Amino acid sequence: MHWTARDVRSLGVGLAYLAPSLVLFAAFVFIPLGQTVYLSLFNTRATGAITTFAGVDHYVELLTSDIFHTGLVATALFAIYTVPVGIALGLVLAVLLNQRLRGINVFRTMMSSTIAISAAVGALIWLLLFNPSLGLLDYMLSLIGIQGPAWLIQPTTAIIAVSITTIWLTLGTNIIVLLSGLQGVPEEIYEAARLDGARGLRMFTRITVPMVSPSLFFLFVVDTVAVLQAFTQIHVLTRGGPVDATRVLVYSIYQDAFQNFQFGFASAQAVILFVLVMGLTLIQFRFVERLVHYQ
Amino acid sequence: MRKFLGLTLALTVVAAACGGLGPGGSDSSALAPAKDVAPAATITWWHAMSGVNGDALNKIVAGFNSSQSKIKVEAIFQGNYDDLLAKLNTAIASNAAPALVQVYDIGQRYMYDTAQVVPMQAFIDRDKFNTSDFEPAVINYYKYQDKLQSMPFNASSAILYYNKDAFKDVGLDPNKPPVTFTEVADAAKKLTKKDASGVTTRFGFGPSIYGWLFEQLMATSAAPYADNGNGRDDRATKVLWNSAQGKAILDWWKAGVDGGYFYNPGIDNDGAANAFNAQKSAMYIESTARLRGHITTVAGKFEIGTGLYPRPDSKPKEGGNIIGGASLYIMKSRPQAEQQAAWEFVKYAMTPAVQAQWQSDTGYYPIVKTAYDQGPSKEWSTKYPQFLTAINEIRDSPQNRMTNGAVLGVMPQARQRTQKMIESVLLGQATTQAALDAAVADMNAQIDKYNKANP
Amino acid sequence: MSVRTMASYALLVVGSIIVAFPLLLALSYSLMTESEIATFPPPVFPARPNLDNYGTVFATIPIGRYLLNSFVVSLAVVVGQLLTASLAAYAFAFLVFRGRQLLFFLFLSTLMIPWEATIIPNYMTIRTIGWLDTYQGLAVPFMATAFGTFLLRQAFLQIPGELWDAARIDGASTFRFLISTVIPLSRPALGTVGIYGFLSTYNQYFWPLLITNQTLMRTTQVGIAQLRFEETLRWGLVMAGVVMVALPTLALLVLGQRQLIRGLTAGAVKG
Repeated sequence: MHWTARDVRSLGVGLAYLAPSLVLFAAFVFIPLGQTVYLSLFNTRATGAITTFAGVDHYVELLTSDIFHTGLVATALFAIYTVPVGIALGLVLAVLLNQRLRGINVFRTMMSSTIAISAAVGALIWLLLFNPSLGLLDYMLSLIGIQGPAWLIQPTTAIIAVSITTIWLTLGTNIIVLLSGLQGVPEEIYEAARLDGARGLRMFTRITVPMVSPSLFFLFVVDTVAVLQAFTQIHVLTRGGPVDATRVLVYSIYQDAFQNFQFGFASAQAVILFVLVMGLTLIQFRFVERLVHYQ
Repeated sequence: MRKFLGLTLALTVVAAACGGLGPGGSDSSALAPAKDVAPAATITWWHAMSGVNGDALNKIVAGFNSSQSKIKVEAIFQGNYDDLLAKLNTAIASNAAPALVQVYDIGQRYMYDTAQVVPMQAFIDRDKFNTSDFEPAVINYYKYQDKLQSMPFNASSAILYYNKDAFKDVGLDPNKPPVTFTEVADAAKKLTKKDASGVTTRFGFGPSIYGWLFEQLMATSAAPYADNGNGRDDRATKVLWNSAQGKAILDWWKAGVDGGYFYNPGIDNDGAANAFNAQKSAMYIESTARLRGHITTVAGKFEIGTGLYPRPDSKPKEGGNIIGGASLYIMKSRPQAEQQAAWEFVKYAMTPAVQAQWQSDTGYYPIVKTAYDQGPSKEWSTKYPQFLTAINEIRDSPQNRMTNGAVLGVMPQARQRTQKMIESVLLGQATTQAALDAAVADMNAQIDKYNKANP
Repeated sequence: MSVRTMASYALLVVGSIIVAFPLLLALSYSLMTESEIATFPPPVFPARPNLDNYGTVFATIPIGRYLLNSFVVSLAVVVGQLLTASLAAYAFAFLVFRGRQLLFFLFLSTLMIPWEATIIPNYMTIRTIGWLDTYQGLAVPFMATAFGTFLLRQAFLQIPGELWDAARIDGASTFRFLISTVIPLSRPALGTVGIYGFLSTYNQYFWPLLITNQTLMRTTQVGIAQLRFEETLRWGLVMAGVVMVALPTLALLVLGQRQLIRGLTAGAVKG
């Protein structure tokens, strides 16, 4: 590859704009990550001090263990339950909120209110809702004749319960991002479509969705990444159980690093999770971004 | 002159070496700073007590700070037990640990393996501090090879809570709670109520899937949890959950849940407590530390009774309860002056008056027995007579390897693993024997790994 | 009012109640006694609303100081993030240079690193430079944001290319174009990044717990943890804490909505 003076100069300009971020990322993300990768090749004492070289032992142990595979399945299920539903729900509500109506701000605030709630606090409220004896959820179901499940006791419903909580927690962000996307769509485009006879669902699929596709794509990437790193709600609701049904990768990293103090092993899992998420994002950019319509 | 100095130095070194804790050495006082080291003016204490217990703790600190003018203790809340230990671990690695820390019961072996602790025994031996008045069950839990590594601070145990009104309701004697597995199961069957559509409105018994409760059940069954004397004679290499006693515990639990008279609140201890408060379960087992909260919450709704922790029908003589809670460690990485100051505070915290106040503010046991003679303690026992069950239970427990509790470096994992084991049995994913064997195999591999990493 | 409008309102009311239900419930529970919460069937409204739980919150933790700390730190992070992210997003959206794609992925990759992987080394860094128990220790590590950069890049890409061409012809410098055109046109997105940065900082728990040792430097989420008792969970008290901590952020959200509306008008003018 040949570098002209112009190439060098434009790279210099680009880097100048990126420099503040790059310096911070280097100090607080990349260098620490390097240390983690290094640590993953060693055995450590409970205090984190390195004892012996382990090479790829941790990786081999992980990739061949059943518990890692259950963790992968739980992670995948969790992402599948959470991301599409969360975005679809966000879009429907954002369209509903993108109307010029008196008092619309009140509704916008109420529906996006979950953005203001920390995962720890939100999960705590849902813990109470799912509670079989004090919880309102099963009680309300019982009023309409349905015997509610023991949400956090059964593996199948536990992952759904965690997913519901997560969808709720991310709904506020999804609505805000999509609303700001919808508001960027010029009114004339809708006018023109209306003149062409587009209405209702057709308007939604032909005009609205393509026009907000940058926001949708953005959420698709960011929500996926966020879900794969979701920790707090699992910690509060299920602690990875029952029988590992919700022990997603990031949770097992937490347990191994901060409860079991196996830093080398935890680091290896962190590296694997990083590689997985990275691969997934590359795929999203390679294949999904093509569908995105930039103005 | 130089020669003389050299000789003195050599003598000092020899003296120190002899006084040190060699193999078989019984006096560990040399590990503590010399008696004449002046205590530091300020020390920091990390703790995990929030709410009412946090207030009670701050009261002790304020009392200490105003009782003398040399040392000021600064108490800092560092999240719950798990958070605190995670933070401590990070701090140890960058040399930022405080002089004094409160660590939960199951962190004992971990703390020992960090080699960052000045054993409490060193101070006790140095000052000939009298511990004969200490509650044996409590102090034995924190002894490793006859040396106290830390000072017990907040101690509790597990008891049976039951709803006396529900007992009367179904014709059971409200003053005679069930004790054995069969008695608990029989009472639970009677206490279970269904509505017209067949939905259970009240379960007889609702223990949470909590590893600590399984540890207690093993102890009342007189079954060791791990080898090498529960990890107390030597480092444990195996867990022994898949004994006949271990299987009996799971069979009993499973039969109750399958039979519809045991309620399964999952791993959520608060959920189990909520169910008991809301009369969705008529009995359950939990820490004595919850007693006061229950009494306040259910006041006016029903009367709470307390009974002995469940045990096998044979009521093995060697069986009994293990205490739980947390203890105080003095950290080696701090200057000797700080260690000295920390010890001064620990001694203050162990005085009968402070202990009695602590009991009455929190509901934890006093560590020193004479505390019961103090006013606040007497008032407490009058107000909450149910507490006597708890203290008698611990007093009556024989002191042996089983009732002193297991010491494992991987205790947090062991707890996670037993919970998963119980879940898989209750959900019908595995038979009791298969679940026990699988859990033991997993855990032994973990222990092996830990022992190799922490030689 | 047309049928259509009425249907819209009906949907909005139902949707809002469902979405906000957990929060409304938290408010309701914060006004109940522990004994009332523990009854079955579960009550929705307090029989005799009382503020005792709020009193206990004030008595248990210095909530005012915690709120102040959270605000200072969160605002600092917002300012930092808006600066670093708009510069970076601008480079990714408008400038052409070799390795741009690669650098963009480098940015995105920071989102994918589990926090557990970096938190311990970061603690050591902060300790080494003496930033334990300081606002800068709480804020600086979060002043760069891949999320914000990504979001702003998406917004910047929506700005019509003709504006860029016109600016080049007018001889405006690249930096001037950013200040005079790109930023004013992207106010909704900047608002979103700001709100998001504020909230995610405000809602942190583990990092503030790790690097602060003085009560005076603690933040709100640590305060909530202090209300969760190790032995008995008092729902009413926890919910009172939740309400107090969430109120400022909810208020911010109301203001944030207006910012989004103003941003829309600015966007409409450009068309």
